[in-house]
Order: sequence, then C-alpha cells, then structure tokens
Amino acid sequence: MVKTRYRWIVLFLTPPLLIYLFFVVFPLLSSFYYSFTDWNGFAVDYNQIGFANFEKLFRDPLFGKALTNTVLWTVAAIVIPTGIGLTLALALHGRNFIGNLYKSLFYLPISLALAVIGQIWLWIYQPDWGLINTFVRAIGHPEWSTAWLAKPQYALLGVIIAWAWQQIALSMVIFLAGLTAIPQELIEAAEIDGANYWQRVRHVIIPLLAPASVVVIALAVINSLKSFDVLYVMTKGGPFHSSDNLAMFMYNESFQKYNMGYGSAIAVVLFMITLAVIVVYFRQSANAEHLYD
Amino acid sequence: MTNTTERRTPSYRMAIFFYAFMTVLVLLYSLPSIGVLLASLKSTAEISEVGVWTLPRSFDLTNYSEAWNGGSAGLYIRNSFFVTLPATILSISLGVLAGYTLCKLPFRGSNALFVFFVAGLFFPPQIALIPLFRLFNDLGLYDTLWALILIHVAFGIPICTLIMKNFFSAVPTAIREAGIIDGANEWQILTKLMLPLSLPALAVLATLQFTWIWNDFLWPVILIRSNEMRTVMVGLASMKGQYSVAYGVQSAMAVYASIPTLLVFVFFQRYFIRGLTFGSVKG
Repeated sequence: MVKTRYRWIVLFLTPPLLIYLFFVVFPLLSSFYYSFTDWNGFAVDYNQIGFANFEKLFRDPLFGKALTNTVLWTVAAIVIPTGIGLTLALALHGRNFIGNLYKSLFYLPISLALAVIGQIWLWIYQPDWGLINTFVRAIGHPEWSTAWLAKPQYALLGVIIAWAWQQIALSMVIFLAGLTAIPQELIEAAEIDGANYWQRVRHVIIPLLAPASVVVIALAVINSLKSFDVLYVMTKGGPFHSSDNLAMFMYNESFQKYNMGYGSAIAVVLFMITLAVIVVYFRQSANAEHLYD
Repeated sequence: MTNTTERRTPSYRMAIFFYAFMTVLVLLYSLPSIGVLLASLKSTAEISEVGVWTLPRSFDLTNYSEAWNGGSAGLYIRNSFFVTLPATILSISLGVLAGYTLCKLPFRGSNALFVFFVAGLFFPPQIALIPLFRLFNDLGLYDTLWALILIHVAFGIPICTLIMKNFFSAVPTAIREAGIIDGANEWQILTKLMLPLSLPALAVLATLQFTWIWNDFLWPVILIRSNEMRTVMVGLASMKGQYSVAYGVQSAMAVYASIPTLLVFVFFQRYFIRGLTFGSVKG
C-alpha cells in the first residue's frame, strides 16, 4: 500500500519536476556560470575570466544608468498604480450596473499585450498628430509640443506611464477583490461610531486591505523588474540609453553586441535584486496573514 | 449593495456628479484603445492630413485586408495559436499532476517541493535567457515553434501548480478515500473524481495561461529569427520596417493581435479576474 503510494507520487511528480528543472531552474542557475566567462554566444571555446565581468559592470556608466532607471521604474510602480488603482477601486466598489460596466472598461488593458500597449502609446507621443501634441496645440500652446520619446529627459517617463496604464487596471482588480472580502459589519460599526467616509477609508478600510496591498505592491515590483516588451517596442532603451533598464541593457549586451558572459553578469545582478524582493515579500505577507485571524 | 450606494452618495446631485466624473475618467482612460481603432479605419493620407483623433470619413476596412494579405497577419496568428494552445493545455496538465500530488499525497519534503515550484513565479525570465538561448541552439530547436511551446510549458508550471494545489486543498479528502474503497487507483481518482470537480480552477488557469502566452513577446524575440515562425506580437513589432508610416495598417495588426485575448476576456471575465486576484484575499 505504502509502496504503491510512493510509486504514484514518483509517477505524477516526475514530468513536471523534470521539465521545471531542465528548462527553468537549471538555466537560471547556469547564468551564474556564464557570468564568469567571456562567451560570445556562438564560439565553442570560451575562457573562465573570474570576476572580470562584474568588475567591468560596476565601472560601466551604462550599467549605472540602467540600474538607476530600474529603481526609478520600481518606485514609480509602487506609487502610481497602487495609488490610482486604490482610488478607482474605492470609487467603483459595490456600484450598480453602470459601475460594473465602468469596471470592465478599466479592466480592459489587462488583456492587451504590452507589445500592443507600447504600439498604442507610441501614437500618444507621436510628434505630428499624437494625442499629447494635438492636445497642447488645441489649448493654444504649440510651443509645448515636442518629440516626447526622442528626448532623453522624457523617454523613460513616457514608457513608464504607458506601462502603468495596464498596471493600474491590475491593481484596481486586486483592490476590488480585497474590498469585497472586508466584513461589512466592521465598516458599519465605524459608521455608527460617527466616522465619516474619509475616516472609514483611512482607519478601517485601508488597514484591512493590507493583504491585497501586499499582493499589489509585490506584483508591481516584480512586473517592473520584468518589464521589457513595452520598452523594446517604444524606445529600445534610447535615446542614448536614457531609458535603459536592466532587462533592456542585458538584452542589448547579450543579443545585439553578443557579450553573453557580460550579459550573464547583468542577469546575476537582476537575480540578486529579485531575491531581496522575495525575502521582503514573504516577511510582509506573513505579517498581513495575522489580520483576519 | 444598493443601500451602500445610497449611503455613499447622499443626494441625487452627488450621484450625477459622480457618474459624470467617472464617465470622463473612463473615456480618458480608454483613449489609447479608441485611438488604435480610429487609426485602423483611416488611410495613411487621411492620418497625415487630419491625424488619428477624429472620426474616420468612411468605414473603410482596407487596412485590415492589407495587414492580412501584405502583412501576413494570418500566418502570425496561426503561429501564435500553434504555440499558445498546446502550451496552455500542457502547462495546466503538469500543474494538475504536481498540485494533486503535493496536496493529496503529502510526503516528507512535499511542502519544501511546493515552495520550490512556486519560487519560479518570482524570477524575471530574463535571468535564464542566455542559458536557454544556448540550450535551444544545442537541441536544434532554435527558430522553431517547439522552443516557444517548451518554454511556456516550463514557465507555466509554477502558477499552475500553485492554483491547482490551492484548489485541491478545498476538495474533501473523503472523496479520494471513497475512490480507494471502490478500488480506484490514483490516476482514476485524479481523472474521474477530482478533475470533474476542478473545472472552475481549470477555467481560471486556461484564461490566465492563454492570455499570458498569447501576449508574450520576450521569448519569440530571443528564440525566433525567421519571418515564417514569428508569433503575432513579434510580427506586429517587426511591421515598422515595411509599413513605417502606414499607421493604419499597423493599427489593424494591433487589433488582430488583440482579438483572441479580448474574446477570452469578454466571455470568461469571471474566471480571468478570479485568477488575477488569486492570493490577494485570504481563503
């Protein structure tokens, strides 16, 4: 009996485990190995060069730029979609059928690909007839119009806004689910005690949304670290690397310049950042767990 | 629900103000999507003359036929389906196997193994990019759709295992025991007793996996070189060369590329949302 049980366990777990190990775990860890080599992507031979890639990396101004932009992106990801998503969720929670229709319209970008979203937003920023320039001309300030994504000072911001357009929807969906889970009695009790709407939001609803907030922020951070599609479609990290993030910088080094060893070192840095995020996430979600107990 | 609405908007005027404000907000928020629809119905000449943000002069589908015939939309969409459908089904199947075993057949270390499976959710796939590029070259699968299928099956295992294990933990263990008393083996219990009960979880995963795999861009950029193997997202991005100023054709392609996931969204929204909000609410 026990023996057949273990036979089934092995039989059921082997296919997923093998595929996961072979195509996810093993490649993930191999990046560490390649980061100590000078492999160029094609050659059969390559050399072990110790920490040379990392030494070069920390002196590379492009890496500094990409790292700064990644941090900026992550901070923006925590602030913008969380704030706007929460506001929208509070406004639309528990409304009638018009509210539900609006919810669906706000959800819509979630099902769009970031490659499509990048394409759409290119036309928001388009210099000749893009939405922003059309608007500033319409309000009588043609001198404000510019080629937004061609300007190093605006390019990153422009891409982050396009990305946030989708992320807002995702945050809103999660906050709405969180709001539905809040026991109605708690809010009513606060109301009977004389708390006005803002006090209820501030002192009852937001603290009780902690589990949803942890998920929203974690998703925003992870998605910001992964972000590549929208950047690739909109600026490819340009102009002059002003909108590079780590993922784009790594792509350029590995698949445009074929410095795969160097690219692997960037991947290792990305791995370390992700690991730090995971540790923080599990601490926070463990704290949030106590709420409903 | 209606009584909370009344309470929050004490007067009729407040309600009108609220809906007017939200309508403006929804319109503003939808502008990017509206723009792409408008552009897809306009000729290049019309766009350069009056821009995108006016109603098209006539209902003209030329851009759509051009994207289909000249821009190979049909080929790209076929490739996307060829990757997405098998990868969705296989990743869910593997998640069912792992989720069921880790939930209903616990063993020493099964919890650690579960964490190990789920950890894959957190890491940006970019980290594994270079080794996988090499692996698929060595396997002779570079520039084939098989490479994309394998990648999406493998990278789908964490989320599928997570959601299936969570779902199975709500299915009474007594069902499995009843099956054993009736002489069923684990495979029969899983396929005949558990799977019919898991349809909601399978629907959640199917909508999520379909959408993510269909919308993926990174892997075909890395693993596909030839035009014949492009998925629709890469096909869309690569159009800029041939149709650099034909914004209408590009828009039509963007619409084509979005139709399958939009249909999933419209018809299975309930499951899609449930999958997205998974983990954010306890229980």
